[in-house]
Amino acid sequence: MIKASLIGELQNIVGKENVLTSQEALRAYSYDGTTNWIREPDVVVFPTTAGQVSAVLKIANAEKIPVTPRGGGTNVSGGSVPWLGGIALVMTKMNQILKIDKENLTATVEPGVVLQDLTLRIAKDRLFFPPDPQSFLGATLGGIISENAGGPACVKYGVTKQYILGIEVVLPTGEIVSLGGRTLKNVVGYDLLHIFISAEGTLGVITRAELKLLPIPPAKKTIMAVYDDVAAAGESVYRVLENGVIPDKIELLDNWVINRIEEMMPIGLPKDAGAVLLFECDGIAEAVEKESEKIAETTRKYGAREVRIARDDDDANKYWMARKAGFAAVYGKTKTVFAEDVTVPRGRIPNLINKCKELATKYDVEIVVLGHAGDGNLHPAILTDVNNKDHYERSVKAMHEIIEAAVELGGVLSGEHGIGLEKQKFFNKVTNPSVVNMMKGVKSLLDPNNIMNPGKIWD
Amino acid sequence: MKCGFCSFFCPVYQEERTETSVARGKNYLTKLILKGEQEFTPEMGEILGKCLLCKRCVANCPSKTQIDRVVVAARAQMVKEKGLGFIKNLIFRRAMANRKAMGRYARLMQAFQWLMPKTEGKVRHLPDFIKSLGSRNFPELAKTFLRDQVKPVYPAVGPRKMTVGFFMGCATDFVYPDLGLALITFLTGHGVEVRVPQYQNCCGAAILFSGDFATARFLADENVKAFKDLDYIVTACGTCSSTLKDYRKYLAENEEQEKRYGELESRVKDVTEFIIDVLKIKPEELTLKKEFEGKTVTWHDPCHLVRYQNIKDQPRAILKGLKGLTYVEMPNADLCCGMGGSFSVYHYDITKKIAAKKMEGIKATGADIVVTACPGCMINLLDNVLQHKMTQKVYHLLELVQ
Repeated sequence: MIKASLIGELQNIVGKENVLTSQEALRAYSYDGTTNWIREPDVVVFPTTAGQVSAVLKIANAEKIPVTPRGGGTNVSGGSVPWLGGIALVMTKMNQILKIDKENLTATVEPGVVLQDLTLRIAKDRLFFPPDPQSFLGATLGGIISENAGGPACVKYGVTKQYILGIEVVLPTGEIVSLGGRTLKNVVGYDLLHIFISAEGTLGVITRAELKLLPIPPAKKTIMAVYDDVAAAGESVYRVLENGVIPDKIELLDNWVINRIEEMMPIGLPKDAGAVLLFECDGIAEAVEKESEKIAETTRKYGAREVRIARDDDDANKYWMARKAGFAAVYGKTKTVFAEDVTVPRGRIPNLINKCKELATKYDVEIVVLGHAGDGNLHPAILTDVNNKDHYERSVKAMHEIIEAAVELGGVLSGEHGIGLEKQKFFNKVTNPSVVNMMKGVKSLLDPNNIMNPGKIWD
Repeated sequence: MKCGFCSFFCPVYQEERTETSVARGKNYLTKLILKGEQEFTPEMGEILGKCLLCKRCVANCPSKTQIDRVVVAARAQMVKEKGLGFIKNLIFRRAMANRKAMGRYARLMQAFQWLMPKTEGKVRHLPDFIKSLGSRNFPELAKTFLRDQVKPVYPAVGPRKMTVGFFMGCATDFVYPDLGLALITFLTGHGVEVRVPQYQNCCGAAILFSGDFATARFLADENVKAFKDLDYIVTACGTCSSTLKDYRKYLAENEEQEKRYGELESRVKDVTEFIIDVLKIKPEELTLKKEFEGKTVTWHDPCHLVRYQNIKDQPRAILKGLKGLTYVEMPNADLCCGMGGSFSVYHYDITKKIAAKKMEGIKATGADIVVTACPGCMINLLDNVLQHKMTQKVYHLLELVQ
């Protein structure tokens, strides 16, 4: 519990209306996008300037009060849950887009800007921010940077860290520092900027960011390839890439997902197919045309029984709506979902898919594959019910084996969700102890009192 | 799974940016109530009250959570456990549930409204001494309420196609009686016999959505009785048509009520859908009133039409079809105007902020007039158009048609 006198001090810093202490408010900040990670903070604080963040952190550091930064709370790792209580530092009121620099293709934003708001605003200038976590309707830039989020478009464009030129960050001591800058090239000493990207809020609080933007490509095309065998679909992914085409998205829907989508919104997906791959190419119209033909040719050669090229935008939208609905299909169908985030090198996608199938039979659970096949981030999901003890335990075992298999295949535990609380139990298992110690060293250097988002990643 | 996508669509969250404002927070806290871990504290009441019931979150929820039903059910449970509170008790049970009493109170207000200064035409704003409460503009209460002007039966002009009951609704009765008369003239002119049942009552929207199901049920039964044996029940108020259609969903406790309210629901038609779907009038065949010729018009979707009844194409078809009008779509046509019935009484500051966004949308169209089909929205749009010193006039769709 926090001393009452400190609540008064916090109110002096951010204003009375920006400090919440009611039981209801604390409960409303006890969760994130996950189902089961729930823990209440002692107080909720909404700063509106970096100076306020600094003042709050100074108090927290002196009093050794845990501080958990939080944006939209859409993350799926438990990362923004205030696990050890203390202050939930909610950045949603720092939501100004400070500058859009059309000459340099950059934007300066506060951490509470919601990605979709940024997207809509910069689209007016024909610009876009490529990282596209599918929580874009609620996810804030501070969280996106702290989780180094990715999304479907990463096949071609990469993840968040490739689009952050600089940040302003408040250290646990209250010191405000700028890291990186506004230029594309920057090799002035250690690359400290990138230590904060994917630090999950354990090192400091990001209060401003300089984003790299790109011009919106003038043309797009969607291609759907149908497969009898889901592993063959997996093979097509790297075959297309090795044949010289880099689509901006390659998404995979397996038979289970196809059928749920057809139940919800029939759009003529082949219900007997083992899987479909959705490709999207973007760029100059002529190039997009050639690339789609190449994709059609390559996928046919490597086992697609049917290839459809979307006629127009409406037709294309239909497929992407279906992909989006896949998400709802998975979560709407069962009480509890383990949404795995393992990522393997693309050449190993078929192996991972086959392993999932094998485990589904072995443990008698439904394992659905619906993910960003293009970057090996497959999101196998296990459908279970936390109240059905036997089924739940079998699912946990299956999940453990999926992770082990992914790591054996040269992959990683998490591609884009982060460790947070959700993947803690695997973190130490799959990470070299020397590496863990280096991370802990960085942490204790920057945050000697361990106030920033404690209880996460390796604890 | 708590994805939080509702935050993008919630007009209240967009202003407040706090988790208790948004569907995800309300849903989570309500779940705790169901588990017995959360009480109906005053703060909880405040949180449940801070919802417009605009259903934008519902329309966009990947898991299809019916948060409107969650909120209304929680409010109802709170009324059951904690009572209604003195003011709502007085207004809902003593005034609104009693049609005659309601008329008397309205008449009393009408008699004293000269105390409030007039700004423009028929609009009044609160006098200076209570300006601290907000400088809100109210449309004037009518000199003669609709109930005192109508006849029980209006025969169809020409051969009679069907007989419908006209449900007037409180706002049309007290504020916009001309709108009601326009509806009657329009319907009879298209071969419809119109009955105006004398014992019809308030639809009960404010009562039902505040969770006073007992009073709402009383009103529902009154209305079921009043509108027996009529082919359709037609109203010019989007909130009324939607509420009449929702009796079954919210109020039915047994099979008998299920049947009774369901039967009523099947006959209720908002005037916009009645024109297009039932009378099957071609919009090109309608005649625009002279005074609107050459005007540019935009449409505001009332929540109770677009999301509660999925009525969005019909009014647009009419506006696009009317010769002499130019139609421009508003960028945020389906954004709630911020009224939310009694929401705007308790949270007028938030209402104004939400309405400001609506005003931006209206300005962007360059339209001369804003058209909608819900007197509730009309009252709020009118207030904010004036507050923003805009030139646009606000009309009900029916007012444009001869």
